[in-house]
Amino acid sequence: MNCRSEVLEVTVEARQVDEAMLALLHTILLHRSTGKFHYKKEGTYSIGTVGTADSDCDFIDFTFVRVSSEELDRVIRKAVCEFKDALNNSGSDGMGQISLEFYQKKKSRWPFSDECIPWEVWTIKVNVVNLANEQERQICREKVGEKLGEKVINVVEVINRNEYLPKMPTQSEVDNVFDTSLKDVQPYLYKISYQITDSLGTSVSTTMRRLIKDTLAL
Amino acid sequence: MAHFDTEYQRLEASYSDSPPGEENLLMHVAEGAKSQWHHIENLDLFFQRVYNLHQKNGFTCMLLGELFELVQLLFVVCFTVFLANCVDYDVLFANKFVNHTDSSKVTLPDALIPMDVCSKRIRDNGFVIFVLIISGVFWLHRLVKFLYNVCCYWEIRSFYKNALKMSMSELPYATWQEVQARIIEIQKEHQICIHKKELTELDIYHRILRFKNYMVAMVNKSLLPVRFRLPVLGEVVFFTRGLKYNFELIFFWGPGSLFENEWSLKSEYKRGGNRLELADRLASRILWIGIANLLLCPVILVWQILYAFFSYTEVIKREPGSLGARCWSLYGRCYLRHFNELDHELMSRLSKGYKASSKYMNCFLSPLLTVVAKNVAFFAGSLLAVLIALTIYDEDVLAVEHVLSSITLLGVCITICRSFIPDKHMVFCPEQLLRVILAHIHYMPDHWQGNAHRYETRDQFSQLFQYKAVFILEELLSPVVTPIILIFSLRRKSLEIIDFFRNFTVEVVGVGDTCSFAQMDIRQHGHPAWMSEGKTEASIYQQAEDGKTELSLMHFAITNPHWQPPQETTHFISQLKERVHREAAGAPSETHPLSLSESEPRSLVANLLAGPSTLASVHFGRDSSLINAAAGLSDGASALRSLSPVSSSLHLRGSLSMAQRASGFTAKAMSGSGTDARTVSSGSSAWEGQLTSMVLSEYASTEMSIHALYIHELHKQQSRGELSRHTWHRRESDESSDSIPDEVRSDHNPQSKTFPRSHTFPTVVSSPNATSASSSNSKGQEEEKSQSQRRHSGPATDHLSAAGRAVRVARVPMGGWAEDGQAAPRHHESVPEESSEDEMPPHIHKVT
Repeated sequence: MNCRSEVLEVTVEARQVDEAMLALLHTILLHRSTGKFHYKKEGTYSIGTVGTADSDCDFIDFTFVRVSSEELDRVIRKAVCEFKDALNNSGSDGMGQISLEFYQKKKSRWPFSDECIPWEVWTIKVNVVNLANEQERQICREKVGEKLGEKVINVVEVINRNEYLPKMPTQSEVDNVFDTSLKDVQPYLYKISYQITDSLGTSVSTTMRRLIKDTLAL
Repeated sequence: MAHFDTEYQRLEASYSDSPPGEENLLMHVAEGAKSQWHHIENLDLFFQRVYNLHQKNGFTCMLLGELFELVQLLFVVCFTVFLANCVDYDVLFANKFVNHTDSSKVTLPDALIPMDVCSKRIRDNGFVIFVLIISGVFWLHRLVKFLYNVCCYWEIRSFYKNALKMSMSELPYATWQEVQARIIEIQKEHQICIHKKELTELDIYHRILRFKNYMVAMVNKSLLPVRFRLPVLGEVVFFTRGLKYNFELIFFWGPGSLFENEWSLKSEYKRGGNRLELADRLASRILWIGIANLLLCPVILVWQILYAFFSYTEVIKREPGSLGARCWSLYGRCYLRHFNELDHELMSRLSKGYKASSKYMNCFLSPLLTVVAKNVAFFAGSLLAVLIALTIYDEDVLAVEHVLSSITLLGVCITICRSFIPDKHMVFCPEQLLRVILAHIHYMPDHWQGNAHRYETRDQFSQLFQYKAVFILEELLSPVVTPIILIFSLRRKSLEIIDFFRNFTVEVVGVGDTCSFAQMDIRQHGHPAWMSEGKTEASIYQQAEDGKTELSLMHFAITNPHWQPPQETTHFISQLKERVHREAAGAPSETHPLSLSESEPRSLVANLLAGPSTLASVHFGRDSSLINAAAGLSDGASALRSLSPVSSSLHLRGSLSMAQRASGFTAKAMSGSGTDARTVSSGSSAWEGQLTSMVLSEYASTEMSIHALYIHELHKQQSRGELSRHTWHRRESDESSDSIPDEVRSDHNPQSKTFPRSHTFPTVVSSPNATSASSSNSKGQEEEKSQSQRRHSGPATDHLSAAGRAVRVARVPMGGWAEDGQAAPRHHESVPEESSEDEMPPHIHKVT
């Protein structure tokens, strides 16, 4: 587990889920994105600019800053939508978590595929509540906004700690560190995954892998 | 003017350096990934491999060794099958006549069965086919493993070469401490662990030994069912590799194990909320694994037999005596192991104790057997003598049928008999031998001292130090016994196991979940009877038995002198060292009263530590009844004094490490020692360069021996003074009746009546009913609560759904940051717990 893990927890109403998730994911990605690199000779490069945009929430009293990149926004919206649908369809008590994992790739020799080694994982635990009347909804709207504000400050605090980040790559290695598929912004390689219930059982495949690995090990 | 030449020319405005539009941009230099060693995903595995490669003396040695093993295995199988099926023994034994035209000599090819007949014989034999298939699978498994290892270790090899700057050729001559120092050094540059800037020695040890520390702790707390009381055999220890494998499968990595991955316990096991449910789940898993073991039993049995056959036939052939030789049992290795002790450290320690241990065991030859053996040897000897004499007279005697074989058999018989006849010149002094053994193995139940001559002590020692033949026999029995133990014994302990893992797991930043005992924190796990009186806050449930925490701490501090322990721990170590040094300096000046009165043999400790050349001028009494405070304390001291080279090195080491820690007591420790000039100069850096770590580690074991003896001695005095208190304690701590010294209980058994038992030696414990104990008394609860911030919550009651969540939100205003405050280098976990109000220790024993 050679990676940092940060946990954020939020309690929201069902219709606020996607906005709250978007706010947090975008906040994190804002700080984990750079402009596009333009490589020059001998490993020097210049960094392009990154625009920011304010984004207002409809169901929460909250405005967050995100990278003004439509493509990135689309990708994240898609992930959040899937998460929300899964949460709605699960029919359980509305617990779920979405995790944003930053990783870097390591090239391996032939028989093995490339390794993806995470270096930071943000886990956002969502707890969905049902509210009885409109007044409670109003209160919730404000409270969730305040809470999200706190979370954003937390995120910034963590990011300011000046801990391990992958080293800036040379041109040939840029794909191992950054996601270069977007044309206006370049976030660190990331993966968004979600999980609905709280049960964190080891899946069968990982167990099998460990079983095999262990028998092979000395 | 027109041709006025000058050096100065008009500067052409050159805007062509950078393409338009980018001239104002900052230029950055890419650092690139200079090495591939930053940020390694699985550091546990990585460090283990680094350690393994070091232990196997480099890549080439490892590769060749494994390759030859593969070839050997293939050869043994093929050759055995060949011998069994393709040799015509009738021809060899000359029962069948071979008619040759030219000569009457039988040649080897005559004895071979032709190829086609031979292969047909093999094909018709079902059993041979079965064995061949199993060995084929076994061999293929080894082959795949070998290939996989080659790939993995090639990477480690390049790590050694490129990052650590050590070539494979110098690896066998580098100590692990050196390798470790380099790893710590490169962490600053490469950041192989991303959680912190610097690694410590303890981090590396924790990662390599994560699960082993758990096993050691579980054996220490008598949690694992390895001791049994059988009707005929009495108390036996059964702990085999198969059983150990199953334990590890259940706890650490098997399907649905307690650990999520190599470094973290599953989160539900950290909370006490549904411990009963988890215990049920664990119990059913153990049942299934037990049943699987039972079903696979025949296959495992054949496998074991083949394995034993292939591994040991060669050894038996080479030295038939090796079966009679003893070895440290698997249980012994767990019982004697310190927390955070690597394999090679343990093995070197045990190997040093081997000679003394086998000597000790040889003290107890049965007189009856000796008489019988003497007579058998006499008759066999006379027969042998006659046969040999006849052979010498005329070697045709050898040609008579069975003469050669009977000579061989008689010879073997005599050898066996001789091993039962004690050496005429051997002196029986078990107490001293046991002391020497203690100096190396460091752990010993209290009641052995003073009872070394008793058969009970010997029997218990033989649990740690068994015959190799017994070891192999147990291994062969293991497939049958293991499922029984799993199903009937381990399953009942599931609740205790769940509690153990919850209570004794801490999350250390940069390491993950480790066994809290392995932190070697005196305050949390110290035992008041082992020098940490007043420093420890541990309840009986929490304290490590046998002074394991204290001795492990000393051991780790001595083997890793650069390690910087936390404040209070440093204090403990320096205090203890100071005391030992003071005793060393002070003892000879006041002439020992006992040393004059007693004409005891010289100190064996001294002998052993320094070799025979030592002028062990200091005699001191060993008779346990005579030991008073002075005698006991001077034990380590006089051992120190009597070996001047070692003693000076000890001071040297001491002063070195002290100088590094800038501690003030260096001068004090050195004053009064006979080697002032050397020790004083040792403080300077000139010595530091000369003392390679090899030298240091050699003396470290000696130093550790002395400290171990000292701690044991101190413990003995302390417990002697507070005998009554301890017996009371023990009765509270577990219900095993035999752990109470016999002085205070009336025993019906006259044999064991006079044999006191200590409160530390693990005995068969009738498993305390943890469920009932969890309804604990309030006193323990308070105590537990005071430590609640550093450990996972105890079992909580069931109603924590809504209230618990509210509490959590209130307690963690930041929203549940799992690893807040990472700045603290060795920050104990503070996993958000649910409902700390409800927590209770799993089973609490009353403390005075």
